[in-house]
Amino acid sequence: MTAMNYDVLVVGAGIGGMESALKLGDMGYKVLLVEKEASVGGKMILLSKVFPTLDCASCISTPKMASTIHHPNITALTYARVDGIRRSPDGAFHATVTKKARHVDIDACTGCQKCETACTVAVPDEFNADLVARRAAHITFPQAVPKKAVISREGSSPCSFACPAGIQAHGYVSLIRSGLNEQAYRLVLDATPLVGTLGRACYAPCEGECTRGSLEGTLPIRRLKRYASDAHEASGNGTGIEIAAPNGKRVAIVGSGPTGLTAAWQLARLGYSVRILEAAPVAGGFLRLGIPSYRLPEAVVERDIDNVRELGVEIETGVTVRDLPALKAQGFDAVLVATGTHKSQGLGVPGEDRLGVLGGTDFLRSVKLGHAPNLTGKRVVVVGGGNVAMDTARTARRLGAASVTVAYRRGRDEMPAHHVEAADAEKEGVGFALQVAPVEVTGDAAGAVNGLRCQRMRLGAADASGRGRPEPIPGSEHVIACDVIVAAIGMRPDTSAFGTQLATDQGGRLVADATSRQTALSYVFAAGDAVHGPTDITRAVGEGRRAAHMINRWLTGGMLAGFDDRLPVVDKAAVLARQKAYALRPGTPDGSTLEAAPADFRELEAPLTDAEATAGASRCIDCGVCSECNECVAACPVDGCIDLRARDESFEAQVGAVVVSTGFKLFPADLKPEYGWGRFRNVITGMQMDRLLAPTRPFNTILRPGDGKLPERIAYILCTGSRDEQVGNPLCSRFCCMYSVKQNQLLMGALPLADVTVHYMDIRAPGKRYDEFYEQAKSMGANYIKGRVADISETPTGDLVLTYEDIENGGGVVKAEYDLVVLAVGVQPNHDAEQLFEVGELAPDAWGWVGEPEEDLNPGATSIPGVFVAGAASGAKDIADSILHAGAAVAQVAAHLETAKTGAGKVTVPA
Amino acid sequence: MTETMVPVGGPEASARRIGVYVCHCGGNISDYVDVEKVIADIRGAGDVVVAKTAMFTCSDATQQEIVADIQANELDGLVVASCSPKLHTYTFRGVAARAGLNPYEYTQVNIREQCSWVHTDDTQAATAKATALVNAGIGRTRHTTPLVPLVVETLPHTLVIGGGIAGLRAAIGLADIGLKVTLVERELALGGWVKDLGTMYPHNRNGRELIDSLIAGVKRRPAITVLTGAEVVGKAGSFGNYRMSVRIGDPGSASIEVAVGSVVVATGFDAYAPADGEFGFGLDGVVTLPDFKAMVDSATGPLMWKGRKVRSVAYVYCVGSRGTGGCAGQACSRYCCAATVQTAVQLSGLDPAIGQYHLYRDMRTYGKFEPLYTEARKAGSVFLKFDNDMPPAVETRPDGRLTVTVTDLLTERTELAIPVDLVVLVTAMAPRANDELVKVLKLPAGADGFFNEIHPKLRPVETVVDGVLIAGACQGPKTSSESVASGLAAVTQSAAVLKKGYTELDPLVALVVPEACTACGDCLTACPYDAIAMTQEGDRHWAVISAAGCKGCGGCVPMCPESAIDLLGYTDAEVTSMIESLAEVPA
Repeated sequence: MTAMNYDVLVVGAGIGGMESALKLGDMGYKVLLVEKEASVGGKMILLSKVFPTLDCASCISTPKMASTIHHPNITALTYARVDGIRRSPDGAFHATVTKKARHVDIDACTGCQKCETACTVAVPDEFNADLVARRAAHITFPQAVPKKAVISREGSSPCSFACPAGIQAHGYVSLIRSGLNEQAYRLVLDATPLVGTLGRACYAPCEGECTRGSLEGTLPIRRLKRYASDAHEASGNGTGIEIAAPNGKRVAIVGSGPTGLTAAWQLARLGYSVRILEAAPVAGGFLRLGIPSYRLPEAVVERDIDNVRELGVEIETGVTVRDLPALKAQGFDAVLVATGTHKSQGLGVPGEDRLGVLGGTDFLRSVKLGHAPNLTGKRVVVVGGGNVAMDTARTARRLGAASVTVAYRRGRDEMPAHHVEAADAEKEGVGFALQVAPVEVTGDAAGAVNGLRCQRMRLGAADASGRGRPEPIPGSEHVIACDVIVAAIGMRPDTSAFGTQLATDQGGRLVADATSRQTALSYVFAAGDAVHGPTDITRAVGEGRRAAHMINRWLTGGMLAGFDDRLPVVDKAAVLARQKAYALRPGTPDGSTLEAAPADFRELEAPLTDAEATAGASRCIDCGVCSECNECVAACPVDGCIDLRARDESFEAQVGAVVVSTGFKLFPADLKPEYGWGRFRNVITGMQMDRLLAPTRPFNTILRPGDGKLPERIAYILCTGSRDEQVGNPLCSRFCCMYSVKQNQLLMGALPLADVTVHYMDIRAPGKRYDEFYEQAKSMGANYIKGRVADISETPTGDLVLTYEDIENGGGVVKAEYDLVVLAVGVQPNHDAEQLFEVGELAPDAWGWVGEPEEDLNPGATSIPGVFVAGAASGAKDIADSILHAGAAVAQVAAHLETAKTGAGKVTVPA
Repeated sequence: MTETMVPVGGPEASARRIGVYVCHCGGNISDYVDVEKVIADIRGAGDVVVAKTAMFTCSDATQQEIVADIQANELDGLVVASCSPKLHTYTFRGVAARAGLNPYEYTQVNIREQCSWVHTDDTQAATAKATALVNAGIGRTRHTTPLVPLVVETLPHTLVIGGGIAGLRAAIGLADIGLKVTLVERELALGGWVKDLGTMYPHNRNGRELIDSLIAGVKRRPAITVLTGAEVVGKAGSFGNYRMSVRIGDPGSASIEVAVGSVVVATGFDAYAPADGEFGFGLDGVVTLPDFKAMVDSATGPLMWKGRKVRSVAYVYCVGSRGTGGCAGQACSRYCCAATVQTAVQLSGLDPAIGQYHLYRDMRTYGKFEPLYTEARKAGSVFLKFDNDMPPAVETRPDGRLTVTVTDLLTERTELAIPVDLVVLVTAMAPRANDELVKVLKLPAGADGFFNEIHPKLRPVETVVDGVLIAGACQGPKTSSESVASGLAAVTQSAAVLKKGYTELDPLVALVVPEACTACGDCLTACPYDAIAMTQEGDRHWAVISAAGCKGCGGCVPMCPESAIDLLGYTDAEVTSMIESLAEVPA
């Protein structure tokens, strides 16, 4: 961290902070101004007009905002935060400041808003008080200073974070939602050529993490990927992938499974000349030889492999590599070994060499290569509980077996197979013999299998996997009669070909560096199941990407690091808390039709219809906000301006004094449930009304949000959240009467036929020309009724019925109906400033505002010498009072700086 | 101080390269004016090299674009048609300067306040008018000349007028920033109103002690010179270099001159004096709040009035404020609700059994003062709300006690007659009668009689007289700590200029062509700023205008029978060209 020196740190660039910074800058002090939002201006810039002058708030704010940012003595950081401030014994302050990643180069951005137009994510627009939506890529408001885009990234979306292949699941979902299917395809293609394959055969860890899962159900994320792939296929478009110019380097990849194909794809795009060497007669590895066609048709795999071939990657089949140094000698600069796990593990019981005992992967491979054994009428037992066991069992059903039984030593819940696979197998007539373990393969005189002797098991204490360890039950042995036994109890890599060239562990797995995948032979990298043992195709894709990244780093002399650049995942509870409630929408129906006795290998799962895809994708709630769809990057006219990989940057600033101008929070109106805000759509807050009235207003007219009707009967409820012990705020919020009176006048101007009624406790108009302003509103026709409103209810048409006691006119309980109700919400302290310092250092007052213990003579001085408060951080203030207060603070900041050495600048306040 | 002479008039119109930008103002203009048509119509105008529209011309992005255009096209004139010049003249002068173009080659055309906002019903006509206004702007720009700001050196010395709490705190604040201070107080003693106060809200501090602390602080600071029993009687010079005359002692005494860079006026307020009979004023037992507060402050137990224990008090609020009972004062005096409930709480502490009745209109214990109101109710004060159409009446009963009659809005408009021992009139803060000072300083006051600030929201301590600042209750009713805050804000405003040692003034000033001047003297009487003087060389006499004193109002220009005066930035050539351009455009 570099240290910077300034005279003063000003925290918060609302009206109090800007005034403080400007005046200090004018006096010649160097000021560091830190604002957490992407623009200076605070709350004032959001307002329509200001009382009592009815000046347009933006018109009088923007010159001040521009002066602030252009002042030669002010360094203004927007979209930044102060993490903490330490006081050193010499009286100076050390502040840690973090510039939040805005993902846009602030010097390069021209404010053209093309990213905003291209962005596929819409979230509530906080600057329009959530009345409308904004994009993830956006300029906070039209008069923002600086007028530079920011891309809101709150973290990785859980789906994208969960993807072992590193695919931006949220990205392609949001692209499909926007009708950009080809872009969705290309986004996946950026990670792997296997788009159609993963769209069908991925186990979709993304869906397991989908936040929507806790509502009506997860999005069909995997099937959306297939949808994009199918749409691309139907369009006849090329991949449109850009390839770097050849860099003259060559890479050999041993194995053409998902790891090898993905690595080849990535390396070829970087300009490498890549050759894949495959031992099997066809390319694709497990995709082509292991996964049954009803889940993953060959044609889909072939198309995906063609993506790789189109980049000029040569795939040589039927070649078993035994000599790695020979490859080096042939001119390959690096070699990737990605040979997977193709060897079935044996049963390890007597009789396993009998005729009719098969290995699971061998069985699947022979079926895929067209050499299916004849199982017609045979009784088949599949030993094992993994995905290969399920694929084997379901394949056996399709080959005409009379019965298929899965024998597994634990229970259904403990099976490693994906639960959908097991359920589907059962629907297709596969039987389960659970908690049994084979003891012996029994046979007839000819040596052929006629049964599997098993013993029953019970589950004991948990083992390393967390599941109960199966223990035999003595005397429980029995025979399951059968003709064929398939052992699907595990796979191991076949790495014997590399002999002593590469180290292996006792499971036969290749030994490679945990981060870089580099082996002891520096030019050889090893990745995928050959290193980890059997996983799944999505992890294998991720391995391919990692290997390609590291090989490129190694060949270009870079550090072997920097592969995983995900932001931390967002907190799902926090995501759900963004909205008060969610409408449950219909979930996406399951696309598979299963038959009890399937007869062929036709693909089971139907594609999503257009309507299903749109509806499914539209259920996304944009957990991380930015979806990483990359449309902004494509749209930005300035190369390199947008960088989604940018990260927060921190630095330390040493300053002589601090001004906290962190402002206030508006009262959350839902804390008054009797007024129905958040439930009744035509109950809005004062800030929402100010947005409706502002020149940059969302609807260009005043309408009620519930149905867009022009309101004719408008009620105000003053003191919402103020002077109210029930919500813990005994204080008056000072400016709500006045902003309501202002809005009353503006409404009567904009809607001459509307009736405006104000329910008040006292009208507090205690400033210069304020009372005259109130009298003016009365003379324009606004009706003021004294008394608190007890309750609001909603009619079926969205109108609102207020119940109140009419104190000044006889005191009876009155009900009155309105089209629109405005809650004049007050303020709450935000505790931002306190948290900058050591606990208890910056003492709050009795109500939680920044305390001013010497307010009588030193207004703005806090409990910490050298720390001053300006504006509404020390209590509710209107704009004029905030300006005066900032002026008072600045005079004392200057005195502190001038007399810090002598200590003469204090005025003693008598106790 | 440098005065810059520049030639009047400008180069030939045909020589110019002008850029024109017409703003949408996000719809504020373009919803009613067809801005594209405006651009199309003026594009062919002579000298226009660049013509564009922009969504928000004031945005940073468009500013950058204008800078690039000026440089790429070597523009020598700039016109932006957007909002009021009050808002963005300085913005676009800055843009010009950043591009290397003299800022005074810039013309702002107002097609929002003066066009789109007032012609929302007729797009066609609004568009034609906007085109005409833009043409006029181009016409002016054809004749603009480069001007250089006047640099005025400033004295690091401030005169503070008024030794109340705001003035005292301001004096200390100025001294602590390194400025010299002369503090002038009309009375013989410093301290103003607060020195006579006991317990004050909301921190229960003692007014006398606060003032003592400030006076001690003033004495400790050698940079502060205090003149008591003194009045400001004259002002000469201009911003940064005022020569103030201060008379010490009675009228007729000698004056001294103090040279200062700025002046802080903190002359405070007068308490409203009720008319005889106003809410019983003049009856025995009817007192004003300041008098009552002094009684409570000095009491150590139950209050006594004329030898009798006071058992009950009625407070009539808003006397002299908000037009109550037909009084002239329309404003709310801001401080009095809280001051009254604080006094009532104080009194309840001295005499828990006392009956206190508050007759109010709206209880304005704003912000953190609200708990005082709650405390008063808890201590037994009774609050009754009256309508200004039915104000309370105060009468003396035959037994000598007082009765207050009020129609209470809070109890179904019941008319109540409350017998009390004392009636306290909660009197307003009235503007101080200091006509002499107003005349000397040329400070404008508002309809309420308080001094006017430049902008009540954003520039509350500055006045139209550069370098003359207002602080405390002379600007409007304030509490004590609010007065202190505004005193310190005036310190800040002074220091923002005086710490730098110089200030720049707009060179948009009037200039006399000596050869044409006949020394008739008409301009001298026309100048409201005393900026024009006669000079002579031999027997030739002519008028000279001080560039620092001239505010560029133009009042002298039409008065000159010889047309010997021109106003830089608004020269006859420029204005004539504007008029001709306006006239040329077909309706």
